[in-house]
Amino acid sequence: MNANTPLPIPTVEGGPQGAMFTLPHVKDGCVARLVTVFGSLGPGRERRVHYVFDVGTHDYKQMMLPVEGAVRSIALQVPAASWYERELHDQYGVEVSGHPDLRPLVFHENWPDGVHPMVDPVDRVPWASREYRFLTVQGNGIAEVAVGPVHAGVIEPGHFRFSVVGDTVLHLELRHFYTHKGTEKLFEETLVNAGTMIAESVSGDNCFAHAVAYSQAVENACRADIPTRASAIRLIGLEFERLVCHISDVGGLCTDVGFSVAAASATRIKESLLQASSECCGTRYWRGIGVPGGLRFDVESRKVLELSQAVSLAARQFSDLARVILETPSIQNRFETAGILRGEAARELAVVGPVARASGIDLDVRRDHPYGHYDRVQFEVPVTHYGDVMARAKIRIEEAAISARLIQQTASALPAGNVLTPLELRGELYGSSAVESPRGELYYWLEGHGGRLARCHIKSPSFQNWPAMPFAVANNIIADFPLINKSFNLSYSGCDR
Amino acid sequence: MIFEVIERSLRQPNRVIPVETLLGNCDGSRMPEVIAAQLTLAIAQRLVEVCPTAAFRIEEHDRRPRLKLSYGECIGCGRCFEPSDRAVVAAKSFYWCGHAKDRLVRIWDLGSRSEVAPLQPEPKAARGQIDSLFGRALNIRQLDAGSCNGCEAEITALTNPYYDLERFGIHFVASPKHADMLLVTGPVTRNMANAVKATYEAVPFPKLAVAVGACGCSGGIFAGSHAVVGPVEAVIPVDGYIPGCPPTPAMLVTGILEVLRRCTAKTVHRSSDRRGPSSNDPP
Repeated sequence: MNANTPLPIPTVEGGPQGAMFTLPHVKDGCVARLVTVFGSLGPGRERRVHYVFDVGTHDYKQMMLPVEGAVRSIALQVPAASWYERELHDQYGVEVSGHPDLRPLVFHENWPDGVHPMVDPVDRVPWASREYRFLTVQGNGIAEVAVGPVHAGVIEPGHFRFSVVGDTVLHLELRHFYTHKGTEKLFEETLVNAGTMIAESVSGDNCFAHAVAYSQAVENACRADIPTRASAIRLIGLEFERLVCHISDVGGLCTDVGFSVAAASATRIKESLLQASSECCGTRYWRGIGVPGGLRFDVESRKVLELSQAVSLAARQFSDLARVILETPSIQNRFETAGILRGEAARELAVVGPVARASGIDLDVRRDHPYGHYDRVQFEVPVTHYGDVMARAKIRIEEAAISARLIQQTASALPAGNVLTPLELRGELYGSSAVESPRGELYYWLEGHGGRLARCHIKSPSFQNWPAMPFAVANNIIADFPLINKSFNLSYSGCDR
Repeated sequence: MIFEVIERSLRQPNRVIPVETLLGNCDGSRMPEVIAAQLTLAIAQRLVEVCPTAAFRIEEHDRRPRLKLSYGECIGCGRCFEPSDRAVVAAKSFYWCGHAKDRLVRIWDLGSRSEVAPLQPEPKAARGQIDSLFGRALNIRQLDAGSCNGCEAEITALTNPYYDLERFGIHFVASPKHADMLLVTGPVTRNMANAVKATYEAVPFPKLAVAVGACGCSGGIFAGSHAVVGPVEAVIPVDGYIPGCPPTPAMLVTGILEVLRRCTAKTVHRSSDRRGPSSNDPP
């Protein structure tokens, strides 16, 4: 199980610019991969900053820094920390000295200066109108194109500010957090058992991954094991979600290049799976099944087998479809060399999930930090280094096939027994857990007292990956942006929370 | 190559689900149905306790306790099936959507164990009526006011070969200026409030705005958050409600039809005189 060491204190160097710690390194001398940075409040409501790194061991390395005055920014050494530190500044009012860009991230022009929801009362926050400055790119012939927050299609809201020369994008600035719903604050005071429902509403198409990550964090905090039948069914649900998500993404890529026939086929395969899921467990997206301690209810083995048969049919049809898609010359023409995310940028921004694996980063929580049923199954992790739209499409196609095999393998040897372990939740709870969601590493950290949550932090893969997208878009034509954006398939709501 | 794709498509059987099968169907949504004969005050009290969004309430009426279920608040979590597996079950069909919010509410008298003024599900809409309602082209613009993307996933499914919304002359359009109806999902976040108003204003009259999902109807699990302004009706006038978390494609089709059926040309026209709420308005 993932790191469960309650709050170790790191080596702290004091200093005029605020507290700082020694960055952890991995074997080859590089700084360890940053997992997340977030704030919390101590027993006397004093602010603390938590840093989580992946140092190559099974458990993540967690560190906590008490905030005395300011903390020193690590964004220049670890660019992946940049958004986290801006969020910390917005939510906790922590001064982050030496950060290159501390403009508000989460709160927009309508939010008053000096109100930090995680520490200040937020019953009646007045409407404000402060200024937000986009980065301007200057030079001859440079134009700005502003897109969003409302986009042309059934898509989530976000703002993109392109600086272009002719068709070519020089720079893209993201402005997100339009769907910010104060989710982490909503967890406060919520009953530990009810937290799953909030977790499920963070990112609607990855709701089971969120439910499992949350539940595992609670189980780790209680040091409880769940029944093997529950962990096996969870694996089926997680892989099912990945399969549906990847089929949907590949279909979406076809839509974005005008290949409607293939796109329609992908939506048909996806719908056949959702209907099979509805037959199997009464929900199309596995909502309301995962809870701390296991599963809310058992799913009959016979129905799981039926789901597994539907999956194997869908996987066959999808692999046929994928072959046709990849062999179509006009698809190759649009997908190849579009939106290249270089390995170096991906590494510096600690990108996760299929996007990382398409840029040569060999990373998968299921294999590197196994949880639940994953140490009992065999699977490969596909990696390629091209980093373009084609690479991301191919990774998704391969992963879809692997997910289908994992579902069949698990469904055919489903353990018997009950599916829920009662948990003792009233004590002091500190727990964390990571899950490989369809979009990559999803990490939950929570603290609870007396059966209620005091803090729950969500590291969402989309929050981590969004800052990398402008690097893939630069030097491409603006008309390829929807395609590149789709190939990343990032959740706006998951990022904004 | 392209011929292979077309040939394979033609070999596929027709998947379109007939509209008669879709209407009222709610498979996969886990919306609750109360079995009135099994209801007791004790069970009703447990329902109120377990419901995370206060969709169940107990009210006094003539000094008699009544159980009230508001589907607009229900997030389909299924926790209300736990107190008694006979009193509350997953609904087999679902019609509680439409033009007015009171159509989302059901009330049971706990003394007589019977439903108060139950909605008579209308006889299955005749084919001719459906054609005449849907026959006129309807252009829909979906607007995400802060949703989790669950409703979007189901709205996108409406265009797949099973639901094929285009068969009714319904199209999803890219610009609010081309739209007749806005399907608004999500609780309206503070950061989206102005964009939601601007989008509504950009739709030409006559126009319909439909709140979709638990969040759109009531704020759902996010009601009361400091970063959320409220349900859709807190920001723009709303002409219809489609509950569910998320509503399944069949529930969306049922809801869109129900809203169209109730909003005659006259009521739609009148909405041009209405303006949004004045209190709690973002500037």
